[in-house]
Amino acid sequence: MTVRHRGALAAVAAGVAALTVATVVACGSRPAGNVGGTEAADLAGAAPSAPAAGPSVPVARGDLPAGTRAVPPVRLVIPAIGVRATVDAVGINDATGEFEVPPSVDRIGWYRHGPGLEAQAGSVVVAGHVDSATQGEGAFFRLRELDRGDTLTATGGDGVAKQYRVIAREEYRKTKIPLDRYFARDGKPRLTLITCGGPFDAEARRYRDNIVVTAVPA
Amino acid sequence: MQLSYFRRVAAGGAVAALTFAGAGALTATPAYAASSKVSVVHGIPDTPVDVYVNGEKTLDNFKPGDVAGPLDLEEGAYDIALTKPGEPIAQAILSVDDAAVPGGANISLAAHLDAAGTPKITPFVNDTGKVAAGKARLIVRHTAAAPAVDVRAGGTPVFEDLTNPNEAKGDVDAGAVEADVVLAGTDTVAIGPADLDLKEGTATIVYAIGSAEAKNLGVVAQTVTGLHSAPAGVPSGDGGRAGTGVDTWWYVLTGAGVLLLVGGGARVATARTGRR
Repeated sequence: MTVRHRGALAAVAAGVAALTVATVVACGSRPAGNVGGTEAADLAGAAPSAPAAGPSVPVARGDLPAGTRAVPPVRLVIPAIGVRATVDAVGINDATGEFEVPPSVDRIGWYRHGPGLEAQAGSVVVAGHVDSATQGEGAFFRLRELDRGDTLTATGGDGVAKQYRVIAREEYRKTKIPLDRYFARDGKPRLTLITCGGPFDAEARRYRDNIVVTAVPA
Repeated sequence: MQLSYFRRVAAGGAVAALTFAGAGALTATPAYAASSKVSVVHGIPDTPVDVYVNGEKTLDNFKPGDVAGPLDLEEGAYDIALTKPGEPIAQAILSVDDAAVPGGANISLAAHLDAAGTPKITPFVNDTGKVAAGKARLIVRHTAAAPAVDVRAGGTPVFEDLTNPNEAKGDVDAGAVEADVVLAGTDTVAIGPADLDLKEGTATIVYAIGSAEAKNLGVVAQTVTGLHSAPAGVPSGDGGRAGTGVDTWWYVLTGAGVLLLVGGGARVATARTGRR
């Protein structure tokens, strides 16, 4: 066998090795895939409203609006992915107009402008970090592993624990995600959990996608 | 006396009818929107009324400080009359004929005093455009028998030199704010202070009502909900540990693998051919 021949065989072997490794990596980093998208979308339909009671016109005192406080979730437990986290009430980042996820990756943010746990309609939204460059894995690092039927418990500031059951897990490009639907204040009562996912752009330090898990009262 | 009162009311009605028509012209009417949401606000102190729409009693014993509605009214012209409770429509204390209700709008009809203290009806078109996430809309309407005023939030004037029957509005951070109304350019408090809880994604409409002379200035408030917007995005990770996409380098590796395979294979083939 010539040296040249041996070199050629080595090249073939190296090629096979390279392809194998690339395939393994590609398979290993496949996104988890979407489940239950239709069910989640159906929840956004308007909740059945009570039929108007005759022709009478509703009349109310024109008092100044009083502070009706929503019940904030203060603790979130998701056994299937080992989440036991404190929930902070958060709003909007003034500079960006975006959801103000708590700076600590161990904590989860509840969108205080939307419904609270007591709400009979609409989407209670919580969001947490998947990870951080400086703090490592976040509370929602394994959110994408949740599947239909998994349960979670959200405890309110009033001490009442509410059980939820996952019905959908979806991944959207951040440019395409129907946020209006996930931040809706009407439709059936539901809990929406959001984090980042998908391919990571190492230069921009940002993920391409959002992972959204939808759960309904169990 | 009686006659002059009626003349005054008739004049008020004519003015109101004109303003109605103005509101109609100002409101672009999409072809598909046939009906409007109409609320009625009572801002005339000490004067409960029955409200008739097209001759039918729609509100019974409607009290000062109350807000009725919203009613869904088809686009069109309406006759509106206010009577003392139980009195026949012929003895209306205030009436507007052929008030034009535009289609697809959200309107508030305020029964109130003009700057001189005469009862009138003013239609306002409510701004129900979406507010940005985290914000609330504050609309203040001067519908009191009082001179020009400034509206202050936390002691700082936010709306200045507001006169009857006009409005001022702005989108502000949602939350609680202490507000008061002062005579324009002064620190003389006319109304308040009061705590306002401006809920995110709503419009709070505050009417200054009553009469400075009669010392019964006050406020009536109306809230329009459902104007919220979703946040611009949910940024929740910059570590890259959970990245699922295949990095560019892996594509390079795949390409190199293919090249090596093809190149090496070709070499092996030529070597064999050469030996033959």
